[in-house]
Amino acid sequence: MVGPGRQERSWIRGAQAGSASDLEALFREHWPRAHRAAFLVVQDGAAAEDIAQEAFLAAVRNLDRFDRKRPFGPWLHRIVVNRAIDWARARALRRETAAVDAGDEYDTGDLGTFSEGVAAGLASLPPEHRAVIVLRYLLDYTPGEIADLLDLPRGTVNSRLRRGLDRLEELIDRERR
Amino acid sequence: MRSETPLQRELQRIQAPDEIDALRRAWPLVRAALDAREPIAWPRRNLRPLFAVAVAVVILAAAVSPPGRALVGSVRDAVGTEKKMKARPALTSLPAPGVLLVNASNGPWLVRADGSTRRLGPWSEGSWSPQAKYVVVTRNHQLAAIDPNAMGAIRWTLSRSATVHDARWAPDGFRVAYLNGRELRVVAGDGTGDGVLRARVGTTPPAWRPTADHELAFSTLDGRIELVQTDSAETLWRTLPREPATQLVWSEDGERLLVLSETSLRAFTADGRKLWEIGLPVGPSGVAFVRKSHRFVMIRFAPATGRSDLVLLQAEANRGEPRFLYSAPGDFGTLAMSPNGMWLLVGWVKADQWLFLRVEGVKAKAVSNIVEQFGGSTAGVPLEKAFPKSLSWCCPASP
Repeated sequence: MVGPGRQERSWIRGAQAGSASDLEALFREHWPRAHRAAFLVVQDGAAAEDIAQEAFLAAVRNLDRFDRKRPFGPWLHRIVVNRAIDWARARALRRETAAVDAGDEYDTGDLGTFSEGVAAGLASLPPEHRAVIVLRYLLDYTPGEIADLLDLPRGTVNSRLRRGLDRLEELIDRERR
Repeated sequence: MRSETPLQRELQRIQAPDEIDALRRAWPLVRAALDAREPIAWPRRNLRPLFAVAVAVVILAAAVSPPGRALVGSVRDAVGTEKKMKARPALTSLPAPGVLLVNASNGPWLVRADGSTRRLGPWSEGSWSPQAKYVVVTRNHQLAAIDPNAMGAIRWTLSRSATVHDARWAPDGFRVAYLNGRELRVVAGDGTGDGVLRARVGTTPPAWRPTADHELAFSTLDGRIELVQTDSAETLWRTLPREPATQLVWSEDGERLLVLSETSLRAFTADGRKLWEIGLPVGPSGVAFVRKSHRFVMIRFAPATGRSDLVLLQAEANRGEPRFLYSAPGDFGTLAMSPNGMWLLVGWVKADQWLFLRVEGVKAKAVSNIVEQFGGSTAGVPLEKAFPKSLSWCCPASP
């Protein structure tokens, strides 16, 4: 992973010393991608907002322990994506218990401008696979970095990527035809 | 940046719903978390390696000299002080003067400032009279006023046809409102003149308006909130129908009313004007006013993470940025403000603990084994069923 830029190091240093303006700069820089990543994994607007918010709160509470030489993004994304996976798993369990109709299985109503094909494809993947796709193609991590972030063997990351991609490419192609 | 694939382009196009507003909502909380933490000053952070060296020197000194051993003793004392911040196994005292009325799974209990506890007889639940001279208690079809200072002696009692619950004593002591099934009834403070106020109402506990002349807020069957003058039975105002309220709480001066529901919190003025409304995620929640103010503490549960936060807001037209007070995994079940307004008691269900938090500051005390201390048991019973369900810290009693 590439180290943080000078600007980010300065924001982190300032935030650690209690500067609200530096924290705000860091927050504005990282919020959109953290929020989007959570949304793509959980596919629920309210939950995504809660997860991104909680991840930032956790990050702020542990700010003093953060090593400024490391980039802030992976630290935050690890929290966001792991919490999003936990939430999505919990929801799946609740749905099993509630035995809802199959048609209600995934809520894609909040996806906005996202192509229907990709939306349906992502929704049809298990949350762990969604997380790997999001880390690779939205947040631009390499498979090795993803393996580190999720504490997974690299082979597992690659197989999840391959399977997820096959499904998504198929749906995107179908949509184009 | 690696070369862009069609999938990457699709993913990059996505915006999470309500992205800008979500950012605006999140920032005050993140900012508050920065204020709430105890920042380690720069010099202290840089002194960590030096401290490690100093500790090594102390250990070495202890091994070779009596003064060194004394120094190690003082370090051990400092660590012991830190341990005292951990949860105490039993409630040995309250951090502020006053008496707690605890509605536990097996009925009402009193906790005095010295930590002594006493069960108030075979009743289901209880509520303070204004100066804590009496407690109004209920059980099945029975309503009674008992004297907590005379071994729970019964002063008067009434029996009704349905299940009696959620009795509340008016601030002047001359009226008691209670629910008899779905019927809202009012009786005089001496147990006479019992009568129906409304035939069918919602299940929310009614709330007397402090400083007013027998004005009572209650919820209707269709989810309205109504303020009624109980002597004339005249409706002073009512809201539009909404989802059922779970809690009605007045500020101490009677000028603000908070209406908590499953998914929202609304703030009203005493004349029924809505100041604001905020949406809440479904989950445990609760509110308690800070004494002599329109500020209040709210439990905010985040279902995505399973954590509960305590945040401070104000029941004014501008509710202000939420100030973050505390956070923990699981549910916060109960809230009560100490009579001197300095401490907040929070029931932390998942940990079977009570947390005493200073409202202005970072001090916190925790007491564990709460269920057991109030005669309950968690064997075969979910903790949330066994944990005390409500508290009131007197006097004046917290709502």
